[in-house]
Amino acid sequence: MREPDLSAPFKGALLIATASVILASCATTPPPCVSPQTRNLNHAVEDVKSNLRGGGCAAHFDRYYDDLLTIAEGDPKAENKRTFSEFLVWTSDAGLLSQRQARDYYNRYFNVKFTSMQGDYNNCSHTCPRRDRVMLNMERELSDKERGLLKVSLDNDAYYRADELYQEIDLVLEATCTACNAVR
Amino acid sequence: MHVFRTRLPARILPAGHPFALNRIAGLSFIISLLVSVQAFANTDSPTIRLFPTTVVEDLRQTSSVAKEMETGLQEVIGRLDQQQQLYMESKCDGAEDDPGCQRLAKQLGATYLDMLGIMEERLPDMEHTVNNTRLSLEKRIRSELGNKMTSWTLQETLLGGNPQETSAPSPTMRGRSGMRLSERFKQYYQLVASSSSQTDQSLAVLASDIYLDMEETSELIARTREEIARATLVEQLNQSFGTITPEMMEIVGGVKSILFGDETSPMQIAGPPPGSFEQAYRSPLEN
Repeated sequence: MREPDLSAPFKGALLIATASVILASCATTPPPCVSPQTRNLNHAVEDVKSNLRGGGCAAHFDRYYDDLLTIAEGDPKAENKRTFSEFLVWTSDAGLLSQRQARDYYNRYFNVKFTSMQGDYNNCSHTCPRRDRVMLNMERELSDKERGLLKVSLDNDAYYRADELYQEIDLVLEATCTACNAVR
Repeated sequence: MHVFRTRLPARILPAGHPFALNRIAGLSFIISLLVSVQAFANTDSPTIRLFPTTVVEDLRQTSSVAKEMETGLQEVIGRLDQQQQLYMESKCDGAEDDPGCQRLAKQLGATYLDMLGIMEERLPDMEHTVNNTRLSLEKRIRSELGNKMTSWTLQETLLGGNPQETSAPSPTMRGRSGMRLSERFKQYYQLVASSSSQTDQSLAVLASDIYLDMEETSELIARTREEIARATLVEQLNQSFGTITPEMMEIVGGVKSILFGDETSPMQIAGPPPGSFEQAYRSPLEN
């Protein structure tokens, strides 16, 4: 004859208690990887850092970066450049981004130079065959620079120079590629 | 590239053993002088060689050929304008059967043929010099900007030393059609001839600008030459009937605008938005 299981009521109670704890924690813990709720850039950066620290939100980096840019647009000033630079250096040090990625994120928005103009081969063989795509990428990058340099950092001179550089590159590439393609 | 030839005058050349030390000292002085001159030349000369003397000479030649063509055409175009005005003032438009109007139309047609004749005579020279300039520039651009540079180095060249600094006023002149052809080439020549004072960044833009302009001019001249034979034949036929075709007026108008520029005001280039004068922040992440 089988003896009655005396621990059964305890097991049931434990199950109920665990379920209650889980449900309670769901009610109080904020949903993971939320966007920063503050309008203050420095506080927002700290929020984002704390979300990224665990590693679980790393996949949301692009969204966070965009959130930070939007917050900075609300309070544009020259110092914002430094805030973004320091934030990106931190992401690189924390191993969330490689150094090259961090550099690209920064330069795409806050530098006059175009990251889309990178290439190790000469213009005749590499740039000219894909000139349209290069110019399209540069155009997109110019609009990111408008955001970073003009709307976030109020660096009008740098944005104007980037715009001028875009036009110069367009002209010089047109001439260079015409010369490269000329078979006379 | 500059080549320095140095020859000591015979009378000061040291000769024989007693002067051996003088000779060595003299030679080393010359060598050090040459080295320092070379070093000076290196620091001063642009690192990209887009305008060797041949290109500069081609530009000067093109400017003078264009000037000759304009001078030849100026008188005949002036005459055409006067005759056309007289034709209009005499209310000949719509009165083609009038004998006086027919005479005026024939005179106009003859002047038009003169213009075509002058163009036919001068255009080959123009075409030749424009093509020479275009081809020599094409070679330099392909070598210096196309084969020796990557997209990144090209960007750095265009930016110059300080990317944050707004560049000097651009020498770009494309699209400014309201300028005489010879004047345009003269400006090109002057810009290029003083190129030692220009930076690589503006030289690359200038070379590209001139080259693309030459491409367009070259095509335009080739098309015009093709048309001249046809237009001459048509006008010779018209001479028999004494009519003025709208095409004739259109061609004269086109030639005038190409050679002497049109009335449109020069293109306005927007200035930079008001910038901040604070010291720019430089990130360690910047390229």
